[in-house]
Amino acid sequence: MRSRQLGNLAASLLIAVALLWSLITTDVEFSRLLSAGPRIADFLGRMFPPDPTVTSEILQGSAETLRIAILGTLGAVVLSVPLGVLASETMVAPWVHRPVRALLALIRAIPLILVAMLMVGAVGLGPLPGIIAVAFHATGMLAKFYAEAIDGVSREPISALESAGAGPLVRLRHAIWPQMAPVIARDTIFRFELNLRESLILGVVGAGGIGFYIQTYVRSFQYDKAASVTLAVIVMVLTIEALNISLRRLLK
Amino acid sequence: MTIAIRIDDLSFSHQQSGRPVFEQVSISVTKGETVALLGSSGAGKTTLLTLLDGRHRDWQGSVSVLGSELDPGRAPPLAKRTETGFIFQEFALVERSTVQRNVINGRLGRMGALRAFFSCFSAKDVAVTRAALSDCRIADIATRRVDSLSGGQRQRVAIARCLAQEPQLILADEPVSNLDPTRSAEILKLLTHVARQRGATTVFSSHQPELARRFADRIIGLRNGRIAFDVATADLTDADTMRLYDDAKPAPSTRLRVV
Repeated sequence: MRSRQLGNLAASLLIAVALLWSLITTDVEFSRLLSAGPRIADFLGRMFPPDPTVTSEILQGSAETLRIAILGTLGAVVLSVPLGVLASETMVAPWVHRPVRALLALIRAIPLILVAMLMVGAVGLGPLPGIIAVAFHATGMLAKFYAEAIDGVSREPISALESAGAGPLVRLRHAIWPQMAPVIARDTIFRFELNLRESLILGVVGAGGIGFYIQTYVRSFQYDKAASVTLAVIVMVLTIEALNISLRRLLK
Repeated sequence: MTIAIRIDDLSFSHQQSGRPVFEQVSISVTKGETVALLGSSGAGKTTLLTLLDGRHRDWQGSVSVLGSELDPGRAPPLAKRTETGFIFQEFALVERSTVQRNVINGRLGRMGALRAFFSCFSAKDVAVTRAALSDCRIADIATRRVDSLSGGQRQRVAIARCLAQEPQLILADEPVSNLDPTRSAEILKLLTHVARQRGATTVFSSHQPELARRFADRIIGLRNGRIAFDVATADLTDADTMRLYDDAKPAPSTRLRVV
């Protein structure tokens, strides 16, 4: 009990020190925040009304973002199936799944934007570096989800088929797959939604998509056009989210 | 008389704790017989059934199932396993699949691996499945998903899957432990009736001596890893069953490793 209290005290102290250190060492001038009010009002004022003349650019950018998310997700699925099996505790030995899980954690730790910048340097501007970056980044999470789906299946139906004389591949197809398919579908749809949200920003580093237009319009002070693109992004994200929710309901 | 199961001097110990599960157990079951295994929790009923199903290793003694000697060092070949059907206490069904899909799964061991993988069922597979559905009186719910069924219906599906396998030997591990008394009698009546009709040998475990009396030809009592009695149903006395549950050792806290 005493050690638990000491632990709580140590955690509280650590948080307090971290907060104080951040506040003292960061050059924060709160007076600047107060004087920013009129500038923000001016910024918002220049966004309205949004400029509808950029519709074709919005459609083109949205389509490209959607393509990056779709193909990036496809790439992640293709990579995640074998990696998911290799990261599964029930399918492979610890000396295989432990390093594979560590590799997946490493992939997850690398930010998407960093991978996109590296890919732009490697393969040039356009949607291709975006697709590669999304596929790479999403694999870290998706393969882990797939491994958990494999490990989470009930063992009894597998034993039942083994007892009936079915071989390993037949058991995988008829006892494991029907149990994990809905979980995998749900996880993949969820990851696709995340990929779409994350790929919106890829255009900023030249990796294609609608982010490129946001960056261009903001930098050239065309806030009404930037507002139109922002609205399109909001509509796209909400639509995909609604679609995701209904698909997940179907897969219950 | 053909022998379906022959166990001679079987000894088996828990692989992790070393606790003996069976000591010098010998049992013989004739083809077509219906045998009930009685015993308190931890007496070894499930272990005996799963061992006969080829799921345990490293036992001593000799065990022969349907004329084939089981090897304590390795699993029986898949082709042999199709001859033995196993009914699980917790049904072991694929919950999201339909009733008919689960039942036809019993045919998978009798098909070539490629055909089984791609679900290319023959006319015979379909006919056998239909007969199993009809025998278990679940043909009307064949297209329903298993996760929407009651416990009694699920156990009927599990029995139908086992029948679709066309086994010569049916091993049922407490097939009615999850059901109310009326359903329990109904399910055991169905299982033993259909098995007899098909000439299959049946061994089922139970905690209910009354049900064993009603549906088995012979009753074997297990206590602390030994045979407490092995009698024809008509010869079972209340003293026998009392003895079985009176001074049994407490149930083991650890589970056997099934390989």
